[in-house]
Amino acid sequence: MSLSSASSTLLRACARQQLPTSRAAIASCQQRRGVADASKSSFESPFTSAKESSTYKIPDFSKYASKKPPRSNQVFSYFMAGSLGLASAVGAKATVQDFLVNMSASADVLAQAKVEIGLATIPEGKNVIIKWRGKPVFIRHRTQDEINEANSIEWQTLRDPQADEDRVQKPEWLVMLGVCTHLGCVPIGESGDFGGWFCPCHGSHYDISGRIRKGPAPLNLEVPQYSFPDEDTLIIG
Amino acid sequence: MAGAIASAIYQGLIRRNAVFLTAIFSSAFAFEIAYDSASNRIWDAMNRGRQWKDIKYQYMVKDEEDDE
Repeated sequence: MSLSSASSTLLRACARQQLPTSRAAIASCQQRRGVADASKSSFESPFTSAKESSTYKIPDFSKYASKKPPRSNQVFSYFMAGSLGLASAVGAKATVQDFLVNMSASADVLAQAKVEIGLATIPEGKNVIIKWRGKPVFIRHRTQDEINEANSIEWQTLRDPQADEDRVQKPEWLVMLGVCTHLGCVPIGESGDFGGWFCPCHGSHYDISGRIRKGPAPLNLEVPQYSFPDEDTLIIG
Repeated sequence: MAGAIASAIYQGLIRRNAVFLTAIFSSAFAFEIAYDSASNRIWDAMNRGRQWKDIKYQYMVKDEEDDE
Protein backbone atom coordinates (compact mmCIF):
# COMPACT_ATOMS: atom_id res chain seq x y z
CA MET A 1 0.00 0.00 0.00
CA SER A 2 2.64 2.42 1.05
CA LEU A 3 4.87 1.25 -1.77
CA SER A 4 2.27 1.79 -4.44
CA SER A 5 1.42 5.28 -3.17
CA ALA A 6 5.08 6.14 -3.17
CA SER A 7 5.56 4.94 -6.73
CA SER A 8 2.52 6.87 -7.93
CA THR A 9 3.76 10.14 -6.39
CA LEU A 10 7.12 9.55 -8.00
CA LEU A 11 5.52 9.04 -11.40
CA ARG A 12 3.44 12.17 -11.01
CA ALA A 13 6.54 14.17 -10.16
CA CYS A 14 8.33 12.81 -13.20
CA ALA A 15 5.47 13.79 -15.47
CA ARG A 16 5.43 17.29 -14.07
CA GLN A 17 9.12 17.61 -14.65
CA GLN A 18 9.14 16.12 -18.14
CA LEU A 19 6.33 18.17 -19.62
CA PRO A 20 8.06 21.54 -19.59
CA THR A 21 11.27 20.09 -21.00
CA SER A 22 9.53 18.44 -23.95
CA ARG A 23 7.69 21.67 -24.69
CA ALA A 24 10.95 23.49 -24.75
CA ALA A 25 12.40 20.92 -27.15
CA ILE A 26 9.52 21.35 -29.61
CA ALA A 27 9.80 25.12 -29.41
CA SER A 28 13.52 24.96 -30.17
CA CYS A 29 12.81 22.66 -33.12
CA GLN A 30 10.32 25.10 -34.57
CA GLN A 31 12.72 27.91 -34.08
CA ARG A 32 15.45 26.03 -35.84
CA ARG A 33 13.23 25.26 -38.88
CA GLY A 34 12.16 28.88 -39.08
CA VAL A 35 15.75 29.91 -39.15
CA ALA A 36 16.50 27.41 -41.95
CA ASP A 37 13.59 28.73 -44.08
CA ALA A 38 14.70 32.25 -43.55
CA SER A 39 18.20 31.42 -44.69
CA LYS A 40 16.93 29.80 -47.90
CA SER A 41 14.33 32.58 -48.40
CA SER A 42 11.89 30.32 -50.31
CA PHE A 43 10.50 26.80 -50.20
CA GLU A 44 11.86 24.68 -53.01
CA SER A 45 9.20 22.26 -54.20
CA PRO A 46 10.51 19.05 -55.70
CA PHE A 47 7.77 19.18 -58.37
CA THR A 48 8.32 22.60 -59.81
CA SER A 49 10.74 23.05 -62.60
CA ALA A 50 13.37 25.68 -62.03
CA LYS A 51 12.20 28.20 -64.62
CA GLU A 52 8.68 28.46 -63.21
CA SER A 53 8.50 30.76 -60.26
CA SER A 54 4.95 31.09 -59.13
CA THR A 55 3.96 32.35 -55.73
CA TYR A 56 1.46 29.49 -55.52
CA LYS A 57 3.26 26.27 -54.75
CA ILE A 58 1.34 23.95 -57.07
CA PRO A 59 3.09 20.65 -57.67
CA ASP A 60 3.98 20.09 -61.28
CA PHE A 61 2.71 16.76 -62.58
CA SER A 62 3.70 17.31 -66.20
CA LYS A 63 6.30 14.57 -65.83
CA TYR A 64 3.44 12.12 -65.32
CA ALA A 65 1.03 13.54 -67.89
CA SER A 66 0.36 11.58 -71.05
CA LYS A 67 2.18 12.73 -74.15
CA LYS A 68 -0.50 11.24 -76.40
CA PRO A 69 -3.52 13.24 -77.58
CA PRO A 70 -6.38 13.14 -75.06
CA ARG A 71 -8.74 11.47 -77.53
CA SER A 72 -6.57 8.38 -77.84
CA ASN A 73 -6.48 7.97 -74.06
CA GLN A 74 -10.25 8.28 -74.03
CA VAL A 75 -10.59 5.71 -76.80
CA PHE A 76 -8.32 3.35 -74.86
CA SER A 77 -10.49 3.64 -71.75
CA TYR A 78 -13.65 3.03 -73.74
CA PHE A 79 -12.00 0.10 -75.49
CA MET A 80 -11.15 -1.53 -72.16
CA ALA A 81 -14.69 -0.97 -70.86
CA GLY A 82 -16.12 -2.40 -74.08
CA SER A 83 -13.84 -5.43 -73.89
CA LEU A 84 -15.05 -6.10 -70.36
CA GLY A 85 -18.62 -5.87 -71.67
CA LEU A 86 -17.77 -8.29 -74.48
CA ALA A 87 -16.20 -10.80 -72.12
CA SER A 88 -19.08 -10.65 -69.67
CA ALA A 89 -21.65 -11.00 -72.47
CA VAL A 90 -19.92 -14.14 -73.76
CA GLY A 91 -19.55 -15.53 -70.25
CA ALA A 92 -23.18 -14.89 -69.33
CA LYS A 93 -24.38 -16.48 -72.56
CA ALA A 94 -22.20 -19.55 -72.01
CA THR A 95 -23.41 -19.93 -68.42
CA VAL A 96 -27.08 -19.71 -69.35
CA GLN A 97 -26.56 -22.06 -72.30
CA ASP A 98 -24.83 -24.66 -70.13
CA PHE A 99 -27.73 -24.68 -67.70
CA LEU A 100 -30.29 -25.03 -70.50
CA VAL A 101 -28.35 -27.76 -72.31
CA ASN A 102 -28.07 -29.61 -69.00
CA MET A 103 -31.86 -29.63 -68.78
CA SER A 104 -32.50 -30.92 -72.30
CA ALA A 105 -32.79 -34.62 -73.12
CA SER A 106 -29.59 -36.57 -73.68
CA ALA A 107 -28.76 -38.33 -76.95
CA ASP A 108 -29.69 -41.84 -75.78
CA VAL A 109 -33.11 -40.65 -74.63
CA LEU A 110 -33.70 -38.87 -77.94
CA ALA A 111 -32.64 -41.98 -79.84
CA GLN A 112 -35.35 -44.02 -78.10
CA ALA A 113 -37.99 -41.32 -78.37
CA LYS A 114 -39.04 -42.20 -81.93
CA VAL A 115 -39.85 -45.53 -83.52
CA GLU A 116 -40.17 -46.13 -87.23
CA ILE A 117 -42.30 -48.98 -88.52
CA GLY A 118 -42.65 -50.34 -92.03
CA LEU A 119 -46.35 -50.80 -92.67
CA ALA A 120 -45.99 -52.99 -95.77
CA THR A 121 -45.35 -56.05 -93.61
CA ILE A 122 -48.61 -55.74 -91.66
CA PRO A 123 -51.45 -57.52 -93.47
CA GLU A 124 -55.02 -56.35 -93.25
CA GLY A 125 -56.87 -57.44 -90.14
CA LYS A 126 -53.74 -58.05 -88.09
CA ASN A 127 -52.41 -56.56 -84.89
CA VAL A 128 -48.79 -55.64 -84.27
CA ILE A 129 -47.41 -54.78 -80.86
CA ILE A 130 -44.21 -52.77 -80.70
CA LYS A 131 -42.34 -51.25 -77.80
CA TRP A 132 -42.09 -47.48 -77.65
CA ARG A 133 -40.65 -45.59 -74.67
CA GLY A 134 -40.96 -48.72 -72.56
CA LYS A 135 -44.65 -49.13 -73.33
CA PRO A 136 -46.44 -51.40 -75.80
CA VAL A 137 -48.08 -49.76 -78.81
CA PHE A 138 -50.87 -51.49 -80.70
CA ILE A 139 -50.99 -51.02 -84.45
CA ARG A 140 -53.96 -52.56 -86.22
CA HIS A 141 -54.47 -52.68 -89.94
CA ARG A 142 -58.24 -52.47 -89.94
CA THR A 143 -60.45 -53.95 -92.58
CA GLN A 144 -63.19 -51.92 -94.24
CA ASP A 145 -65.82 -53.78 -92.22
CA GLU A 146 -64.08 -52.84 -88.98
CA ILE A 147 -63.86 -49.19 -90.04
CA ASN A 148 -67.56 -49.19 -90.85
CA GLU A 149 -68.32 -50.84 -87.52
CA ALA A 150 -66.24 -48.24 -85.63
CA ASN A 151 -68.03 -45.40 -87.42
CA SER A 152 -71.54 -46.85 -87.06
CA ILE A 153 -71.53 -46.70 -83.26
CA GLU A 154 -73.33 -43.78 -81.61
CA TRP A 155 -70.25 -42.52 -79.84
CA GLN A 156 -72.06 -39.70 -78.02
CA THR A 157 -73.52 -42.22 -75.58
CA LEU A 158 -70.20 -43.87 -74.70
CA ARG A 159 -68.41 -43.49 -71.38
CA ASP A 160 -65.55 -41.52 -72.97
CA PRO A 161 -67.29 -40.08 -76.04
CA GLN A 162 -64.91 -39.80 -78.97
CA ALA A 163 -65.52 -40.20 -82.70
CA ASP A 164 -63.45 -42.74 -84.62
CA GLU A 165 -62.07 -40.08 -86.98
CA ASP A 166 -60.68 -38.20 -83.97
CA ARG A 167 -58.70 -41.28 -82.97
CA VAL A 168 -57.10 -42.17 -86.29
CA GLN A 169 -55.24 -40.24 -88.99
CA LYS A 170 -55.87 -42.86 -91.64
CA PRO A 171 -58.94 -45.00 -90.97
CA GLU A 172 -57.18 -48.26 -91.90
CA TRP A 173 -54.38 -47.69 -89.36
CA LEU A 174 -55.29 -47.65 -85.70
CA VAL A 175 -52.34 -46.69 -83.49
CA MET A 176 -52.70 -46.53 -79.72
CA LEU A 177 -50.87 -47.20 -76.48
CA GLY A 178 -51.44 -50.73 -75.23
CA VAL A 179 -51.92 -49.73 -71.63
CA CYS A 180 -55.30 -50.24 -70.03
CA THR A 181 -56.57 -46.94 -68.67
CA HIS A 182 -57.83 -48.68 -65.55
CA LEU A 183 -54.69 -49.91 -63.81
CA GLY A 184 -52.14 -50.24 -66.62
CA CYS A 185 -52.34 -53.86 -67.72
CA VAL A 186 -51.74 -54.74 -71.36
CA PRO A 187 -55.04 -55.68 -73.04
CA ILE A 188 -55.30 -58.73 -75.30
CA GLY A 189 -56.09 -58.10 -78.95
CA GLU A 190 -58.92 -59.52 -81.02
CA SER A 191 -60.95 -60.50 -78.00
CA GLY A 192 -63.64 -59.12 -75.76
CA ASP A 193 -67.33 -58.56 -76.33
CA PHE A 194 -66.83 -55.80 -78.92
CA GLY A 195 -64.27 -57.37 -81.24
CA GLY A 196 -61.43 -55.18 -80.09
CA TRP A 197 -59.28 -55.51 -76.97
CA PHE A 198 -59.92 -57.14 -73.66
CA CYS A 199 -58.04 -56.45 -70.45
CA PRO A 200 -57.66 -59.69 -68.47
CA CYS A 201 -56.88 -57.97 -65.17
CA HIS A 202 -60.29 -56.52 -64.39
CA GLY A 203 -62.34 -57.22 -67.50
CA SER A 204 -62.40 -53.99 -69.49
CA HIS A 205 -63.70 -54.36 -73.03
CA TYR A 206 -62.48 -52.01 -75.78
CA ASP A 207 -64.01 -51.86 -79.25
CA ILE A 208 -62.28 -51.84 -82.63
CA SER A 209 -61.47 -48.15 -82.21
CA GLY A 210 -59.93 -48.67 -78.75
CA ARG A 211 -62.84 -47.02 -76.95
CA ILE A 212 -63.92 -48.30 -73.55
CA ARG A 213 -67.28 -50.06 -73.79
CA LYS A 214 -67.58 -52.25 -70.72
CA GLY A 215 -65.71 -52.79 -67.47
CA PRO A 216 -63.96 -50.57 -64.94
CA ALA A 217 -61.65 -48.53 -67.22
CA PRO A 218 -62.63 -44.83 -67.31
CA LEU A 219 -61.05 -43.71 -70.60
CA ASN A 220 -60.38 -44.88 -74.13
CA LEU A 221 -56.97 -46.31 -74.98
CA GLU A 222 -54.55 -43.40 -75.41
CA VAL A 223 -53.46 -42.39 -78.89
CA PRO A 224 -49.78 -41.34 -79.12
CA GLN A 225 -48.36 -38.72 -81.49
CA TYR A 226 -47.56 -40.35 -84.80
CA SER A 227 -47.18 -39.45 -88.44
CA PHE A 228 -46.95 -41.06 -91.85
CA PRO A 229 -43.92 -39.57 -93.63
CA ASP A 230 -44.75 -41.68 -96.70
CA GLU A 231 -47.18 -44.37 -97.72
CA ASP A 232 -45.45 -47.34 -96.10
CA THR A 233 -43.85 -45.96 -92.97
CA LEU A 234 -45.17 -44.90 -89.63
CA ILE A 235 -43.21 -42.87 -87.08
CA ILE A 236 -44.41 -42.91 -83.50
CA GLY A 237 -43.15 -40.06 -81.31
CA MET B 1 -1.59 10.10 -86.90
CA ALA B 2 -2.53 8.09 -83.83
CA GLY B 3 -4.76 10.94 -82.78
CA ALA B 4 -6.51 10.90 -86.14
CA ILE B 5 -7.21 7.17 -85.88
CA ALA B 6 -8.37 7.56 -82.29
CA SER B 7 -10.74 10.38 -83.14
CA ALA B 8 -12.08 8.42 -86.11
CA ILE B 9 -12.79 5.46 -83.84
CA TYR B 10 -14.35 7.77 -81.29
CA GLN B 11 -16.59 9.49 -83.80
CA GLY B 12 -17.61 6.31 -85.57
CA LEU B 13 -18.00 3.85 -82.75
CA ILE B 14 -18.04 5.28 -79.26
CA ARG B 15 -19.79 8.61 -79.51
CA ARG B 16 -23.28 7.15 -79.80
CA ASN B 17 -24.01 4.68 -77.04
CA ALA B 18 -26.33 2.61 -79.21
CA VAL B 19 -23.58 2.13 -81.77
CA PHE B 20 -21.10 1.30 -79.02
CA LEU B 21 -23.38 -1.31 -77.44
CA THR B 22 -24.23 -2.81 -80.81
CA ALA B 23 -20.55 -3.08 -81.59
CA ILE B 24 -19.90 -4.76 -78.23
CA PHE B 25 -22.62 -7.37 -78.68
CA SER B 26 -21.90 -8.10 -82.32
CA SER B 27 -18.22 -8.50 -81.57
CA ALA B 28 -19.16 -10.74 -78.63
CA PHE B 29 -21.08 -12.91 -81.11
CA ALA B 30 -18.15 -13.02 -83.52
CA PHE B 31 -15.70 -13.64 -80.70
CA GLU B 32 -17.71 -16.56 -79.42
CA ILE B 33 -17.79 -18.25 -82.83
CA ALA B 34 -14.08 -17.70 -83.31
CA TYR B 35 -13.24 -18.87 -79.79
CA ASP B 36 -15.39 -21.99 -80.06
CA SER B 37 -14.06 -23.04 -83.44
CA ALA B 38 -10.48 -22.37 -82.38
CA SER B 39 -10.81 -24.38 -79.18
CA ASN B 40 -12.54 -27.20 -81.07
CA ARG B 41 -9.71 -27.25 -83.56
CA ILE B 42 -7.15 -27.42 -80.74
CA TRP B 43 -9.09 -30.23 -79.07
CA ASP B 44 -9.32 -32.20 -82.31
CA ALA B 45 -5.61 -31.71 -82.92
CA MET B 46 -4.75 -32.96 -79.44
CA ASN B 47 -7.01 -36.01 -79.77
CA ARG B 48 -6.36 -36.87 -83.39
CA GLY B 49 -7.06 -40.52 -84.16
CA ARG B 50 -8.88 -41.14 -80.91
CA GLN B 51 -12.32 -39.76 -81.63
CA TRP B 52 -15.24 -41.58 -83.20
CA LYS B 53 -15.24 -39.33 -86.25
CA ASP B 54 -11.60 -40.26 -86.88
CA ILE B 55 -12.08 -44.03 -86.70
CA LYS B 56 -15.62 -44.12 -88.05
CA TYR B 57 -14.55 -44.91 -91.62
CA GLN B 58 -12.99 -48.25 -90.58
CA TYR B 59 -16.28 -49.56 -89.26
CA MET B 60 -18.32 -48.05 -92.06
CA VAL B 61 -16.16 -49.81 -94.67
CA LYS B 62 -16.47 -53.07 -92.74
CA ASP B 63 -20.26 -52.77 -92.67
CA GLU B 64 -20.40 -52.33 -96.41
CA GLU B 65 -18.18 -55.37 -96.94
CA ASP B 66 -20.49 -57.42 -94.70
CA ASP B 67 -23.48 -56.32 -96.71
CA GLU B 68 -21.81 -57.45 -99.92
